[in-house]
Amino acid sequence: MVSSNIEKLAEDLEKQELEAQNGIASPQVYEQLLAIYLYENDLCNAKYLWKRIPASVKSSTPELNNIWAVAQHMWKRDFPGIYKALNAVTWSDGVANIMKQVQDRVRNRSVDLIAQAYSSITLDTVSAMTGLPPDICATACVERGWQVEADTRMVHPVRPTPQTSGQTSSEDQLYKLTDFVSFLEN
Amino acid sequence: MPLQMQTIVALNAVEPMQVDAPPEDNDNNEEESYIVENPSLDLEVYANSYSGLAKLYRLIFIIDHCPSLRLEALKMAISYVMTTYNVNLYQVLHQKLAEVTTQMSVPDVAATSTSQDIPVIDNLWMETRSKKAALKLEKLDNDLKSYKSNSIKESIRRGHDDLGEHYLDCGDLSNALKCFSRARDYCTSGKHVVNMCLNVIKVSVYLQNWSHVLSYVSKAESTPDFTEAQTKDSNQVIVTKLKCAAGLAELATKKYKSAAKHFLQANLDHCDFPELLSPNNVAMYGGLCALATFDRHELQKNVIFSSSFKLFLELEPQLRDIIFKFYESKYASCLKLLDEIKDNLLLDMYIAPHINTLYTQIRNRALIQYFSPYLSADMHKMAIAFNRTVPALEDELMQLILDGQIQARIDSHNKILFAKDVDQRSTTFERSLLMGKEYQRRTRMLILRAAVLKSKIHVKSPQRDTSGQSGEVTVAPGTSSVLSARN
Amino acid sequence: MASVLEQFVTTVRTLSSHGNYKVLCEYLSKSSDILLKNTQHLDNVLETLDLQQHSLGYLVVLCAKFNSTVPANTPDNRFAQVQEFIHGCNGEQIRLAPDTFAELCHSLTNYLVEQKQPMKGILLLRKAISKLRFFDSQLTSIHADLCQLCLLAKCFKPALEILDTDITGICQEIVHNPNGAQFEAKYFLLYYYYGGMIYLAVRNLDRALYFFEVAITTPAHAVSHIMLEAYKKYIIVSLLLHGKIQPVPKYASQVVTRFIKPLSQPYNDLANSFTSNNTADLNAVLNKHREAFTRDHNLGLVKQVSSVLYKKNIQRLTKTFLTLSLSDVASRVGLPGPSDAERYILHMIEDQQIYATINQKDGMVVFRDEPEKYGGPDVLKSLEAQLAICMELDKQILAMDEDIQVNPVYVKKSSGVQDEEQPSKSTYAM
Repeated sequence: MVSSNIEKLAEDLEKQELEAQNGIASPQVYEQLLAIYLYENDLCNAKYLWKRIPASVKSSTPELNNIWAVAQHMWKRDFPGIYKALNAVTWSDGVANIMKQVQDRVRNRSVDLIAQAYSSITLDTVSAMTGLPPDICATACVERGWQVEADTRMVHPVRPTPQTSGQTSSEDQLYKLTDFVSFLEN
Repeated sequence: MPLQMQTIVALNAVEPMQVDAPPEDNDNNEEESYIVENPSLDLEVYANSYSGLAKLYRLIFIIDHCPSLRLEALKMAISYVMTTYNVNLYQVLHQKLAEVTTQMSVPDVAATSTSQDIPVIDNLWMETRSKKAALKLEKLDNDLKSYKSNSIKESIRRGHDDLGEHYLDCGDLSNALKCFSRARDYCTSGKHVVNMCLNVIKVSVYLQNWSHVLSYVSKAESTPDFTEAQTKDSNQVIVTKLKCAAGLAELATKKYKSAAKHFLQANLDHCDFPELLSPNNVAMYGGLCALATFDRHELQKNVIFSSSFKLFLELEPQLRDIIFKFYESKYASCLKLLDEIKDNLLLDMYIAPHINTLYTQIRNRALIQYFSPYLSADMHKMAIAFNRTVPALEDELMQLILDGQIQARIDSHNKILFAKDVDQRSTTFERSLLMGKEYQRRTRMLILRAAVLKSKIHVKSPQRDTSGQSGEVTVAPGTSSVLSARN
Repeated sequence: MASVLEQFVTTVRTLSSHGNYKVLCEYLSKSSDILLKNTQHLDNVLETLDLQQHSLGYLVVLCAKFNSTVPANTPDNRFAQVQEFIHGCNGEQIRLAPDTFAELCHSLTNYLVEQKQPMKGILLLRKAISKLRFFDSQLTSIHADLCQLCLLAKCFKPALEILDTDITGICQEIVHNPNGAQFEAKYFLLYYYYGGMIYLAVRNLDRALYFFEVAITTPAHAVSHIMLEAYKKYIIVSLLLHGKIQPVPKYASQVVTRFIKPLSQPYNDLANSFTSNNTADLNAVLNKHREAFTRDHNLGLVKQVSSVLYKKNIQRLTKTFLTLSLSDVASRVGLPGPSDAERYILHMIEDQQIYATINQKDGMVVFRDEPEKYGGPDVLKSLEAQLAICMELDKQILAMDEDIQVNPVYVKKSSGVQDEEQPSKSTYAM
């Protein structure tokens, strides 16, 4: 699992930052941690991290500023801005992988949001929210079973049905139930 | 400048007479002043329904709120006040008159014809009247003293009452109240107690001390002799009077429903106390409060089918029509009639501050009643029935839905109001989960508080405080940027 | 080394090796003068002591170092020394002198604040807390220091682990007190005030409100500035979270209603205009009191309040309407145009604050009821979890009750009173 790896990496980086000499960690630590916060859509922590990074590190590491630019667009939920900022630069090896996943996550989120929030939406809006060109969008929509009106360029998304998770064992439930009842009786 | 001096004295002297002072236990004093343009009131008839201070206060209210009746009302008030010993009020009224006449004479100096019947301030009258009042006071005071030295209870009680009446006649309410209250110690029968209560109630109404009114009403009602002799005719008058006073107090403190209940118990044949209310007032106050607060069933049983209140309604045919139209669900004409009587009501000192609230409540009740049988309703039709535009109706409905008075939702696209069925199961879930969370929070707080009390933590002297503050100040700049930067 | 110091070292060593810590504490509490008079030799003293075996002596010397100025032309090694000490000291020993240990941590905190290096102290103070406290849910005055450093460093995660543990006991730090051991109210207030600010920063409003509520209900005979500031934030968080001022619990001290409320007039005005649901009113209040809000460093929060009002008004719309055009939404909540309304609604849908569908074709919004939420095993699971928490809390309360029931003082008092009244029956009543 990628996510658990990233979680572990995040913990590791946070520890490194706290243990850093004079309280200043290496630029790589800051870069990766910031990128991971974006991946987790944890914009609060991203923001405070940005604030506590010393100005000297910021000025000597232009890439940090690039990551922060993405974060700012994410804060404003400005989807076109996010994609633009993500694709405006070539990311260094240290963060390229994470930033790629940030983009995937943002796109997935926006697709989910479209399905949740719209009963009809223009193809252009879909394109802006996913950062994909309209023609690719149209085919992707059809693949998901969303109806696309060719003449009005309107998309009718289908709301996803909530997934139900697996049942717990009845024995376990019985055990808990006896617990509750004995609590209430006493 | 003797005249100016005089007015200042007069203004100061107004003090015991609380008509302009903020009433004690309601917050109507925030009510902005307004002007009534077109009343259809017959001032003569109106004024004749009252006596004593009730008449004067009501006229003053009209003087303050209705320019078109101002002069006439002033003349009536001045001629009436000259029958009393209330020299202060006489001065005040003349001062008001002076304001009116200067206003009038500025635009039209030539119109001298009217000035002939405008009364002129009579300093001689004031002087002699004040002297007479002082003499009478002295006499009554001496009488009381001699009664006291003879310690004849009944005479002392009467002496107090007479003195109270005289103070009332002079417009000195606080002394009147003192005298009437002192009579209490010399009451030898239930009848006397009730009488004392009625006196105190009367003065308290003038003082707008409504909690006092209510407590003396219940005092009178719980007097033993009084409850036994309910059937007697003289008692009927007292019962009605007490009910009306209580209704008035409840109305003034915005308890409209209980006000309505009190007024509805009044009996027209025994409704004769011009120093308090007129029968028309009882009809109007009771009717409007009932309309605003009663449900359909209560309205039918206690108002429409009430044989005693029916007689009151005959005095106010417009109100009767309003109530019947409401009951017949003819809301448009009901509301229209209500609007027609609004101007007159705004000149009534007791109900005027509540008119807007009562009207809104009546309207809301109508809206709720209109929608109650439906699953969905066309808002266009509803708007016609309520004399409103569709958007205005939408706003009104929105408020009612938010207050939980109508269980419905609006389809603004098609302008249809849909009844909303509440899912009991999920609301129960929601509520119980919320309750659980609340329990957890409180219990945590309780455990913590136990620890706090156990270790006797408390903020002590100011010295400690400043040290606490300094610690805080060192941090504030850093934290502030943390917080202020987040939007 | 001066002879007084030599004598100090010998005493510390002998008493420590005999395990005679009570006497040692007594001795140390009187020896700070000696140490302060000989500041230039303190490092030498430290060298002769073992920080594990002579933790108490070491502690007092370090404190003295912070209480004196660093001699010129010697390097400032205090941070490194404290770091080493906190990691290596003997917990049992330092718990005998909690006030001195806490004092050392306060000094360290002030030092780091002055040096503008709050980040360095975070892990260290966490370690210090774990050494000083007897159990995980015990509050020490170092808690407040940790929160202060985290706030200054803008690094909240380390503090959250501490803050998330509900406090059930308080460390009696001031042991040398004629009225019995105590805990200084200032640190208690600071902990809950700073803690509330941290929760506010990480947007855990529920917890933030809880913390501010604790701060304002602290028993008080005088107005504390910390309480005043906490009250202001309590109002703001209350508005953000519940849309109105939550009533202050009745057991709050009278100073809150008598002095603190009148001192927070701009905030009460804010709350009043908020409850009127009128954004124009609210912004007028905001501008009127802008100076006061800025002075209190609450302007950012107040601006959030104004943005939340738009959302609250949209939520009100969902309760009254089935469908509404986007331009109607905009005009009803006072937003500039339909596109702004769409943006707000979209954000609220994503945050699950409302349930709605936007129809771009007609420019309409359809408000939906909450989807069927209370069915399926997930609900059962969360119910079970909630129940378990409640039961756990209930057990805790019962245990506390039992503690009191068997407390000798309580038994004596309660039975004593009854003895006087009804000597024979009281035994049964118990």
